[in-house]
Amino acid sequence: MSSEARAVTIVMIEDDEGHARLIEKNIRRAGVNNAILPFTNGTDALTYLFGADGSGEVSRARHLLVLLDLNLPDMTGVDILEKVKGNRHTKLTPVVVLTTTDDEREIQRCYDLGANVYITKPVDYESFANAIRQLGLFFSVMQVPETN
Amino acid sequence: MPISKSTYIGAAALLLLLGLAALLAIVATSLVLVARSQQQFAGVVTAREVRSAAADLLALVQDMETGQRGYLLTGDESYLAPYRQAVGQVARKAEALRRALRDFPDLEPVLGRLSSTLDAKLAELADTLQLYRSGAREQALAMVDTDRGNKLMEQLRGELQRVRESAEVRLDLAVDRQRASADLLRWVSILGAVAVILVVAGAVWLVLRYTRVLGRARQDVERLNAELEERVRDRTAELGRANEEIQRFAYIVTHDLRAPLVNIMGFTSELETSLATLQSYVARVVDADQCEEEDPATVEARIAIEEDLPESIGFIRSSTRKMDGLINAILKISRDGRRPLKPVRLDLRSVIETSVEAIQHQLKEHDGAVELDIRTGPIVSDRLSLEQIFGNLLDNAVKYRQPDRPLRLAVSSHEAPGRQIVVEIRDNGRGISPQDHERVFELFRRSGSQDQPGEGIGLAHVRALVRSLGGDITLASEFGAGTTFRIRLQRDLGQFLGSSRA
Repeated sequence: MSSEARAVTIVMIEDDEGHARLIEKNIRRAGVNNAILPFTNGTDALTYLFGADGSGEVSRARHLLVLLDLNLPDMTGVDILEKVKGNRHTKLTPVVVLTTTDDEREIQRCYDLGANVYITKPVDYESFANAIRQLGLFFSVMQVPETN
Repeated sequence: MPISKSTYIGAAALLLLLGLAALLAIVATSLVLVARSQQQFAGVVTAREVRSAAADLLALVQDMETGQRGYLLTGDESYLAPYRQAVGQVARKAEALRRALRDFPDLEPVLGRLSSTLDAKLAELADTLQLYRSGAREQALAMVDTDRGNKLMEQLRGELQRVRESAEVRLDLAVDRQRASADLLRWVSILGAVAVILVVAGAVWLVLRYTRVLGRARQDVERLNAELEERVRDRTAELGRANEEIQRFAYIVTHDLRAPLVNIMGFTSELETSLATLQSYVARVVDADQCEEEDPATVEARIAIEEDLPESIGFIRSSTRKMDGLINAILKISRDGRRPLKPVRLDLRSVIETSVEAIQHQLKEHDGAVELDIRTGPIVSDRLSLEQIFGNLLDNAVKYRQPDRPLRLAVSSHEAPGRQIVVEIRDNGRGISPQDHERVFELFRRSGSQDQPGEGIGLAHVRALVRSLGGDITLASEFGAGTTFRIRLQRDLGQFLGSSRA
């Protein structure tokens, strides 16, 4: 794993702490050791991503990857996706949507908005763990550009 | 002023009667007048007979006289030819005149005189001739010289003239009368025609007015109908919204239920992983201390780790799996309900045949047979929904057949009022007991002995599909004898959706 890849910070926006824990466990099992920043609501995550002024300046020069759940208590993940892909500092940041929703229209909408990967959380744990591990492999080969 | 139906019928009947009366009057008058005219005609005929008989008689007597004179002058028998000819006819003519004069009672005295004059004249003629022939020529000529014959002739001519005049008068009278009756007939006809025209005009007016009233009534009915349709549309739209809401609700609920389930299953797995670690550790430690006396705490811990914990985890797993199945079932129904319907023109027969084809294998296996009786033309509906509906019902028929008799299925369809069709699927399966007839359509509910795999969502799904197509499904069943599912569908789904969304 290159030093550049190691510098990538995974921003995990997931309101269910159980899910967050399971995701983290499985990412680690896949051998991904990047720092994981968990957020349990959209507001905090947006503040982190775009700063207090909401300009996104804070994310300049950060290496980020967003893991996004769509069902959040204060907003829908789609709003966050739209904001991330609409800001010039964060638009190149990879966004992985990881959610329970498997509605085709919702999936299509996320891809239309620029989501890089869409994963439906399987209830069956084996599949779930598998999906996350695959995602870990994906992380390890993915080149994340520096935000600017 | 509105006309009620009874007034209309009464008035119409009255007009009809009036028209009939007018026609009858015309006909009766005509008949009377024709009869009278016939009578008058008979009178005319008689008068003419009288006239001609009188003329003929006079001509005959004149012929006889001419014959007599010629003979008396010349003594040549050939001059008697006209006399001889006439003498045979004169009696008949006189009789004819008498007969014709029977209708002329006023001429009775004239007739009497005429007869005697005629007789006298004839006698005079006969006498002179007799005398002449017997050789008393002088005497005969002297008889002529008395001028009696001439006078008699004069008298006869006068009397016959009277008769003729009288006949002429009668003739003129009859012609006048005839003309009067013709006039009368004309007037009666004109009056009758006017009456008939009035009646017809009245009838036409009445019909027009009644038609207008009917037209207004029909407009009212149409308006009410439109309002009713509007209301039905509103209700349907409301129902549609309610249905959408329920489906949305189901969708949200299932998703929200899934999130904790992911955790339960996930952490159960984590627990298992940890347990495995623990088990191997305990096994190693305990095996190492095998020789030692086992203390009760260790035994208990071993039991907990090797038996209690795996058992608990097993139950958690099986329960969560079951719950997952149920949630997926609800999700499937709600997803199908949210799937946009695509109304296309379909041949119902081919759709059903496709579904029957899918169970052909099982049918053969159980010696089953399907009978189709499709009496509906093409319909407009959603193919996928129909295939799922028929597929589910036919699958059920195979699944819940009565094992001790060959499966017999009958699928029929016919048109129904309100732009709908009805499809009936009848089987001779094990049937459904009466208390379950409604229950089987509920989610997760099943009926009869639970000897077949299934989650109890098939019929709930079918009902949801049928209802989304604007129809409904009911069943009739006799336990142990068979079941008939009756599916009511919109003949034109596109039109139905259009009207319920409008």
